[in-house]
Amino acid sequence: MSSSAPPADRPVFTGLGVLSAFGPGLAPLAAAATRGGTGFAEVTRFDVGRRGTRRAALLADPPPLADAVLGAVADAGRQAELPPGAPLLLALHSDLQTREVARRVSEGAAALGLAGVHRVYTGACVAAATAVADAAVLVGSGRYPRVVVAAGHLVEPGVFAAFDAGRALARDGALRPFSAGRSGTLLGDAAVAVVVEAADAAAARGARPLARLAGWGRSGDAHHVCRPRPDGAGVARAVRSALARAGVVPAGVDYVNANGTGSPMSDLAEARALREVFGAALATLPVSSSKSVHGHALEASALLELAVTIGALGGGGLPVNAGWLGPDPEVELHLVLPEGRTDDRTDDRTDDRTEDSAEGRTEDRGENSAGGRAADLPGTRPRCALSLNSAFGGANTALLVAAA
Amino acid sequence: MSPLRTLAAAHWPPGEPPPPLPGFAASIFNPLVAAVAERCLAAHYGEPGAPGAPSGPGESGESGEPRRTGLLLASAGGDRATALAIDTAAAGHRMPPLLFFQSNPNAVLGHVAARWQLTGPVVAISPLEAAAPGELPPDALESAALLLADGDADQVLVITAELAERTERPAGEPGAAGGTGHATAVLVTAG
Repeated sequence: MSSSAPPADRPVFTGLGVLSAFGPGLAPLAAAATRGGTGFAEVTRFDVGRRGTRRAALLADPPPLADAVLGAVADAGRQAELPPGAPLLLALHSDLQTREVARRVSEGAAALGLAGVHRVYTGACVAAATAVADAAVLVGSGRYPRVVVAAGHLVEPGVFAAFDAGRALARDGALRPFSAGRSGTLLGDAAVAVVVEAADAAAARGARPLARLAGWGRSGDAHHVCRPRPDGAGVARAVRSALARAGVVPAGVDYVNANGTGSPMSDLAEARALREVFGAALATLPVSSSKSVHGHALEASALLELAVTIGALGGGGLPVNAGWLGPDPEVELHLVLPEGRTDDRTDDRTDDRTEDSAEGRTEDRGENSAGGRAADLPGTRPRCALSLNSAFGGANTALLVAAA
Repeated sequence: MSPLRTLAAAHWPPGEPPPPLPGFAASIFNPLVAAVAERCLAAHYGEPGAPGAPSGPGESGESGEPRRTGLLLASAGGDRATALAIDTAAAGHRMPPLLFFQSNPNAVLGHVAARWQLTGPVVAISPLEAAAPGELPPDALESAALLLADGDADQVLVITAELAERTERPAGEPGAAGGTGHATAVLVTAG
C-alpha cells in the first residue's frame, strides 16, 4: 500500500532546456522521436576498436559537461523567465569528475541568478527522476516557489567500456526495446534542465506552464544488485504511487514512455509491471521507449525522457519505439511503431542517423502526427502520460505529466 | 519537513576493514556500505529476510510484508577506487565485468535491499562536503526527511561512506585490496 502524499500546491513545468544527440532544443529531439530517426552512429569520440559494440547517440562536438548542463539551465531559465534565487538539483554520474563538474555548474548557475547547486544526485538511471520528485516535494510543501532540476551525461570511454564488458550494450548496434531479438542498450549524450514551479507561484507571475507534474512515485525492488525483479512488482508500485498522488486512475493514462532499455530481462519485467497496473487496458495503451531514438543517457536519462514526454503532450505525435524487429510473445504491449512498420522483420532501417536529425533541423510536425500505427492509436495528443525509469539496485521511478 | 526520529545507528570506524562482499571488487567502498548497513539494520530489525522483528512506532506493515524502508547513500567522494579502476581498465586491454555491476552507487544498495526486503525508494547523493567519521552530512538528513514527507517510505536507512585518499588505487596495484574508509548508518523515521 502506498501512502503517497498529494502536495499542497501542485507543481508545474515552466521551463525546459535540452541538448541531445540531435542538437540543442526540444524540437529536433521531438521530431526524431516521433519519426523514429535514431541518433546512433559509430563512436569516433574515443577508441572503441576493442569493444563488442561500437555505436552510441553522441553529439558531434560536445562542450564540456558543466557547460552543456549550464546551457540547458540557461535555456530552461530563459523560457520560464525565471526569477532569481531558485536552487538547483543536479544529477551526474558518480566518477572522478563529479565534484569538479558540480562545482563548475554551481558557479555557473550562480552567474545565471540561481542559488547554486543544492544537491547532487548520483543514483544511476533514476537520479534525475529522483531529483524531479524531490523538487515536487520542495515546491509542493511551500519551501521554495520554484526549483531547477538539471542533469548531464556525456558518454566517456570508461563507462562505455564498463557497459560493454558487462554485456549491457546491444551486440547488433541497435536499441530494440520490447522487440524480439533485443540484445541490450546503447548509450547517448544529454544535458537537460527543467523549472519545477508551484502552480500558484507560476500563475501569480503570469508564467505559462508547459505541463503539469501530476504525480510521481518511487520504489525499490528488494531483489538484486543489478537484475530487475522479474514480475515487475517494484515498477508497478512506483506507477501506482504516481497515479495515487495524482488522483488519476489507470484508464486516465494516454501514453507511457517506458524505461525500455532494450535489455531482455528488464524490458520483460517492465512489461509485466504495466500488465499488472493497466490490465486489459494495456491492449490499447500506446507504449514506447524513446531511448530507442536518443539512447540511454544514464543519470540524465529520466530528464531527457521527461522532455520527450512533455513534447508529446504538445501534440507533435507520439514517440515511436524504434528498432523493432517483431513481437516478443511474452511482452504483449501496444507499441508505437514507426510509420509503415508491421510485424515482419524485413525492414530494419531505423538505426541509421538521418541527415535531418544529424543537423538538428526541425521537422514539419504535421508529417509526423501519424507516427506509429496511427490507425490503432487513440490519438497522438495525450493528455496524461507516464515516464518510467529503473536502475541498478532495483530503484524505480514514475513521473506522471499532464497537459497544462 | 517533519523532524526525524532515530530508530538505530551504527558506525564503521576508520582502520577497521569491512568483510569482503561477494560480487564486488577493486574497492572497499561497497563492502563498507554493506557492513555498516548490516550493523544498523540488525540493531533494529534483528534478522535479515522476512520482517517480524520489532514492531514499534515507525515500523512498517504486518509480519510477512516487505518493509517500506528507503535506502539513501550519501558520499561526497563516492567510490573513487572503482571509478579509477574503470578508467584504468578502459585505457588498458581488459575491463573486468564486475566493474560494470558496481559502476554506480545504487548497486550495493540493491544488495542491502534484497537481503533485508526493503522496498522503499533507492537514492544516492553526493553531498558537497564529506561528513566526519561518526556523523552524517546535513544534506543526507534533509534528503531523508523529503523522502519520508513524500510518503513512499515509512523509514529511511541513511548511509554515509567515505574512502580514505590512499584507497584510490586501481585493482592490482599495491594498497588496492586494503585501504580504509569510514561509514555511518542511521535508520530514521518521521518524528
